[in-house]
Amino acid sequence: MKVDAVVIGAGHNGLTTAALLAKSGRKIVVVEKRDKVGGLCALEEFHPGFKVPGVHLDTSGVRRDVAESLDLARHGLAFVAEEPPVFAPASDGPGLLLHRDPAKADAEIRAHSARDAKRYVEFRAFIGRVRGFIARLLNEPPPDLNGTGAGELWDLARTAIALRRLGADDMLEIARIAPTCVADWLNGWFECELLKAALAGPSLHGTFMGPWSSGTTATSLLQECVASGGVRGGSAALVTALHAAARAAGVDVRLGSAVEHIDVAGGRVKGVTLASRETIECSIVASSCDPKRTLLDLVAATHLAPRFAMAMRNYRMRGTSAKVHLALRRPLEFRARPGQVFEIARTGETLDELERAFDPVKYRKFSSEPILEIRVPSISSPELAPAGQHVASILVNGAPAELEGGWTDARRDELGNAVVNALARYAPGVRESIVAREVLTPLDIEQRYGVTGGHIHHGEHALDQLVMRPAPQCARYATPIEGLYLCGSGSHPGGGVTCAPGALAAKTIIERPARP
Amino acid sequence: MMAKSYDAIIIGAGHNGLVCAAYLAKAGRKVLVLERRHLVGGAAVTEELHPGFKFSVCSYVVSLMRPQIIRDLELPKYGFDLLPLDCAFLPLPDGRSLARWNDYARTRQEISRFSKKDAEVYPEYGHVMMQMGRFSKPIIDDVPPDPTSMNPFEILKLLRLGKRFRELGEDNGIAALKLFTMSAVDFLNEWFESDVLKAPMSVSGIIGTFLGVRSPGTAYVLLHHYMGEIDGAFRSWGFCRGGNGAVSNAIAAAARHYGAEIRIEAPIARVLVKDGTAEGVVLENGEEIRARLVVSSLDPNRTFLRLVGKEHLDPEFATSIERFKLRGSSGKVNLALDRVPEFTCRPGDGPHLRGDIAICPSVDYLERAYDEAKYGDFSSRPYLNVVIPSLSDPSVAPPGKHVMSIFVQYAPYKLKEGPAAWPQKRDAFGDAVIDTLAEYCPTLKESILYRQVLSPWDLEQQFGLTEGNIFHGELSLEQLLFMRPVAKWARYRTPIRSLWICGSGSHPGGGVMGAPGQIAAREILKAGAV
Repeated sequence: MKVDAVVIGAGHNGLTTAALLAKSGRKIVVVEKRDKVGGLCALEEFHPGFKVPGVHLDTSGVRRDVAESLDLARHGLAFVAEEPPVFAPASDGPGLLLHRDPAKADAEIRAHSARDAKRYVEFRAFIGRVRGFIARLLNEPPPDLNGTGAGELWDLARTAIALRRLGADDMLEIARIAPTCVADWLNGWFECELLKAALAGPSLHGTFMGPWSSGTTATSLLQECVASGGVRGGSAALVTALHAAARAAGVDVRLGSAVEHIDVAGGRVKGVTLASRETIECSIVASSCDPKRTLLDLVAATHLAPRFAMAMRNYRMRGTSAKVHLALRRPLEFRARPGQVFEIARTGETLDELERAFDPVKYRKFSSEPILEIRVPSISSPELAPAGQHVASILVNGAPAELEGGWTDARRDELGNAVVNALARYAPGVRESIVAREVLTPLDIEQRYGVTGGHIHHGEHALDQLVMRPAPQCARYATPIEGLYLCGSGSHPGGGVTCAPGALAAKTIIERPARP
Repeated sequence: MMAKSYDAIIIGAGHNGLVCAAYLAKAGRKVLVLERRHLVGGAAVTEELHPGFKFSVCSYVVSLMRPQIIRDLELPKYGFDLLPLDCAFLPLPDGRSLARWNDYARTRQEISRFSKKDAEVYPEYGHVMMQMGRFSKPIIDDVPPDPTSMNPFEILKLLRLGKRFRELGEDNGIAALKLFTMSAVDFLNEWFESDVLKAPMSVSGIIGTFLGVRSPGTAYVLLHHYMGEIDGAFRSWGFCRGGNGAVSNAIAAAARHYGAEIRIEAPIARVLVKDGTAEGVVLENGEEIRARLVVSSLDPNRTFLRLVGKEHLDPEFATSIERFKLRGSSGKVNLALDRVPEFTCRPGDGPHLRGDIAICPSVDYLERAYDEAKYGDFSSRPYLNVVIPSLSDPSVAPPGKHVMSIFVQYAPYKLKEGPAAWPQKRDAFGDAVIDTLAEYCPTLKESILYRQVLSPWDLEQQFGLTEGNIFHGELSLEQLLFMRPVAKWARYRTPIRSLWICGSGSHPGGGVMGAPGQIAAREILKAGAV
């Protein structure tokens, strides 16, 4: 069989690349190891009648222009204008319900600190001012530092101009804060610990860092600057629409088709060989698997220059997140706010508490008091659970992939218990409400989804692994192997559910110069 | 009372203040240096704390001292004499040890006992770092480039830097990008597998900062170790004969030779500011001294918030000085010993004791030390950098006896009980240091004749280092180059007319380097400020 291009992996990025390439008139096959599409965004029924929309639940970063270029609205995708507010429970007191919109957040923050309520308006205004520049940085392929062509220089110059347009003050502020730690940055803004911890939480997902690690302000800024609303029905609805769009464009999505290896000869891609021994011939392969899996597992070592292979081995993918899914008989109710339900809640009352949850990870242990990002998607998508019942999908920060002594069933249960205990501190009724629970350790995530180290972002977000992602030699989607492209979250602008790496990789492939 | 008028008053006779004074005096300016203490040198002093024992009380080695300063000021004429350190010695708790020598072949042999692979990579690593050091050298010898400026000269300078960056070649270019963004441990993980290399090498990334070796941004400081040069040889460290006070004394002698006046025991109460212009200083005894220019070598916090005062500062500038991070993280223990200390892992005297001795057996050890400090305690098992200068320079101790200087990290200025709790905790801190070292050196305790423990609080009290920060401000990315001490004021000028800064809180930062003092003097003269 012969096609123009094979895309490996039917996650949201793989489907994006495939659909965009097919729309440009190419014949595309997507090969997916699992028997369903979606990758880390796939809908999973973890207990009869109880479903979660995958590992990733945050769809606030999905690129609207990509959705438009694929006409996803026609395939059933709808955006919501605003994310639900985040509830930050406290051991005593009413906690904090945090809206992104400062007008809506005012009364809640004011209850803790009038000064912070005022500062929050300024904080959001600052994010609003730098948002354009940062979004620009994320919406374009990374600059080519070694390029000498006029085009590359022009690209660099335009980025420089965009930076200057920000004004010297904001520009210096970005330069000053980006390398700092999120704790210092937020301490400079606010006095209320609960507010600071709630804002810092997401900047640690997918990193090997605590809030006192420098560079976490950069990851926080990235998150704050892409967030806008979300997808109705969450990530599962996104992949459903992407799948439909891809098929409509003529993409052949083949499930249950694991790739054995990528065929390379003379430094060029020749095709892929599946586990079934079937080969598909093509001159372009776009892999949405993580960079290590793609280049170290699927490509034979003899095809890589030693220094490049070393760079790939050095790419850091130490998973630090686990997932816990709970099937709940009743809505999740917090002691501080009886009778209310929240779609998103985030534990961690102080910055130091977040730091303490990270400390054991450095010594290959998991935290007995992990930090939880709790989502109850069944509030806005009741079809995920039987009538009146709910599912909670909990992202757990503080569980290392490389656990001392290794992950076992017993250790998995121990982690699950620690998570339920941490949740029950704030929602004491949760224990009696649990119908079933599923615990995915980083090892489980690695085995189920095929991501190295169970890393949900296909590689740590850190200053040196952003922009020049995964390594300078392949930061612009093309790898040193002619015809082999990366199109997953291991490429710029990184992990989460944005579809941006997939779209930028497709653009690179479409615009690539004709072969001599 | 009105005293006679000077061209310039330099506040503080630390090595940077003295370098600045010497260059200004050499250019024919009438200069007065005012020092609070009874001796010159600031944090680079030698003091006889115990009869016959002379200690480099604070800073204790010399590496980064700019060679052009040594030449321009003819420092060797005034007693500046460097004794190179040849060894970096790492004793381990299991009885093994690693000694790294300036001789690569010998070092490789030592490393191969731990890892054959690391032994092979080690020279290549040194080579790459050396090239990085050369790339950075012009950056530390000039005012920092200003990326926000639209001035064509600035843009030209940036383009030239860009060109030099490209000339590094692809591999070194990548390494440079990584150096500026990664953590020391992540950076070293890419090269080495063995903790005996990663731990002692990564530690240079955190000296004087309140960061852990796994904290991004610490890799850059690894470079500082390769930027030091003695007689043009990069990566060399040395003791100054007579202790680090001899460095300051030599610079002071040169400054006096050019006509600078130096007054000790002349503490300053405030800088005289009128209508946004510095006109001189007022001493604590009420004496007023006028000058056309005032140059402060103190840290930015002390200069602006104490000597100038917030009432003279634009609120935005004052805020940025307030958030300039000083947070001291290290202490010092000085010992007088009645014999050569003996390490269980390599008994007896030997050349391995003539360099620096590091107590940091593993990366996790360093990280645990940091974890304790994060929450406001001193490390119960700290990182120690030990030198015994009397083995190389017998003039600093009575015959057969020795001085030992121990740099200790982490000792957070802000204990969880507050900095004022340090006097009650000082002895416990000193005991933790001695206990730690005694695990490697069991006869240490009985050989101690005298001990001095300096917490960061003591460094603040005695040496005027705000929060006990030995570098006048953390050497973290956001406080370097065009942002040191704060953006828009990183070129030795200040928002107060006729007030300049020349200390380690300005570019290129701390260490016994002299560069801030020299560049400040050059900029002052270039601007025709005096």
